[in-house]
Amino acid sequence: MTAATTTPPLSAEEVTVEFGGVKILDDVTFSAGPGCIMGVVGPNGAGKSTLFNVITALQPVTSGRVLIHGKTMQESRGVVAYVPQFERVNSRIPASAWDVVMQGRVRHAGWFRRPGRADRAATEEALNRVGMWDRRKALIYELSGGQRQRVFLARALAQGADILLLDEALSGVDVSSQTALMDMLLELRDDGRTIVMSSHDVNYMAHYCDECLCLNCSVCACGPPSEVLNADVMMQLYGPLGAVPIHGSGPGDENGNNN
Amino acid sequence: METITEALAGPFQYGFMVRALIVAVIVGVMCPVAGVYVVTRGLGFMSDGLAHSVLPGVVAAAILGTVSVSVFAGGIPMAIIMALFSGYLIKRAGVSEDASVGILFAAMFAIGIIMISVAVSQGISVRFSLEDLLLGNVLGVSRIEVFITLGVAGTVMLTLFGLHKELFFSNFDPIGASVVGLPTEKLEYLLLSLLAMVIVIALQAVGVILVISMLITPAAAALQITRSFTGAMVAAALIGVASGISGLYLSFHYNLPSGPVMALVAFSFFIFCIGWKQKAAGILLRQRA
Repeated sequence: MTAATTTPPLSAEEVTVEFGGVKILDDVTFSAGPGCIMGVVGPNGAGKSTLFNVITALQPVTSGRVLIHGKTMQESRGVVAYVPQFERVNSRIPASAWDVVMQGRVRHAGWFRRPGRADRAATEEALNRVGMWDRRKALIYELSGGQRQRVFLARALAQGADILLLDEALSGVDVSSQTALMDMLLELRDDGRTIVMSSHDVNYMAHYCDECLCLNCSVCACGPPSEVLNADVMMQLYGPLGAVPIHGSGPGDENGNNN
Repeated sequence: METITEALAGPFQYGFMVRALIVAVIVGVMCPVAGVYVVTRGLGFMSDGLAHSVLPGVVAAAILGTVSVSVFAGGIPMAIIMALFSGYLIKRAGVSEDASVGILFAAMFAIGIIMISVAVSQGISVRFSLEDLLLGNVLGVSRIEVFITLGVAGTVMLTLFGLHKELFFSNFDPIGASVVGLPTEKLEYLLLSLLAMVIVIALQAVGVILVISMLITPAAAALQITRSFTGAMVAAALIGVASGISGLYLSFHYNLPSGPVMALVAFSFFIFCIGWKQKAAGILLRQRA
C-alpha cells in the first residue's frame, strides 16, 4: 500500500478545545475513511457542533489537529463541503435552487470571473443527480425541508468535494424526505465520498451509518454502530434514561428518536 | 407640447441642475444596489449609524480648509474607519450589532457637534452647513464633487459587480462560504467599507437623516416584486433613479427641498410595489381556488 491510500480523508488527532478553562472537546481522536458515513452522536452540549467547527477551521483548537487527506484544512480548501441547516442560512436573500448550487462553483470560476460553461454544466449535473432540476427556479424558502437539503447536497456535489459535513441536516425534515436524503447519501458514499453527519436521531445513525462517533466532550466510543451503540456507551452519552442499546433500528421505528 | 418639453428640459439650462441630475442618478443607482445587501442582511441601523458617524470627519475637513470637498475628504475615511471598527467590535469583541452601532455612532455624532461648538466659540471659521449635511443639498454640488462622486461610485460598482458571486455566497451562507475557502471576514469588512462609501456619496443628495430612505426604500420595494438577487438590484436601481430624477423635477417646479421629495417618491414606489405584490398574490390564490 502506498502512503496516499493509507492516509484517511479525515482524521482528528488529540483535539482539545477550551473556552475560559472549560473543555468543550477533550482529546478527541478519530479518523473517517473513504466511502464511509460517520455519524456523530451525543447529547446537547456534547461538542458536536464545536467538532464540526474545528473540522471546517472555523474554530481554532487549543491543542491537537485535524487533517484532511493528511493536510491542514487551510491547505485543503474546497475538498470539504458543508451542508447547512436551513435555519443557518440567510433566507431573506432571494436565492433560487440554481443560485445555491452555483455557489459550489465559486472557487472553480475564480475571483472576479463570471461562472462559465463548465460551471453551468456542473450545476445542471448536480441538480439532476439530486432530482431537483425541475425545481431549479424555485426560491430556496419555497422548497420543502427535504428539497432544501437536496439542493444543499447538490451544492456540495457541484463543488466537487469528497468530504461532506452535515450538521443536524436532517432536523426539520419529514420522515419520508429523511429516508430519501439518506438513500442519496448512501449513493454518494458508494461513490467513495466521506460523509460526516450529526443528528439527535440515534436510530437513523444506527441504521445508516457505517461508523458512529459517540461524543460527550471526549470520545466515548467510535466504530460500527452494532458494536458501539451499547448500553454502556448510551449511559455515558445520555445517562440512565438513554441507556437503551439501539441496533439497526431505522426509519419508521415506532420508538422514535433517542434524544 | 411645448409646455411639457419646457418642463422637462427647462431645469437643465442651469449648470447646478445638470450637476444635481448627475449626482441624483449616481445616488439613485448606488444606494439601492448596495441597499439590497442592506435590506437582506438587516444592516439598516448600521447604515443609519454610519451616516451619523461621518460628522467629526466632515467638520475636521471643513476646519482644515477643504470645505469644497469636505464631505468626501473627511466623510469617506471616517465612515470606513467606523464601519471597520464596528465590524471588529461585532466579530471579535462580542458586542452585539445594535449595541456597537448605538455606542460608536452616537459618540461620533456627539464629537462632531462638540467640534463645531468649540470651533465657533474659539472664533475658528467653519465654512460648513450642518443643515446641508443633515438634509442634503444636491442643488449645491460643485463640479469637483461630481467628479469625485463619479470616481467613488465607479469604484464601488466595479467591486460589487466583480465580487458579486463571492459576496452573494458569503452573505447567504457565511459558514458554507468559509468552508469553501472564501475569506468571509474580509468580504464582510469590504462590504461595510463599500457601504460607507455609498452612504457618504448619498449625503450630498439626501443628507444624514434621509440617506436611509435611498438606501433601504428602493431596495425593499424591488425585493417585493422580483425573484432574484440581481433582479432586485436592477429593479432597485431603476426605482432609485426614478426617485432621484422625479424628486429633482418636483423640487425645481414646486420649490420644494430636493432630498425629502426624493425620499417621498421612493416611499410611493414602495407602497406601489407592496400593493402590486398583494394583488399578484390575490390573483394567484384565486387561480388556485
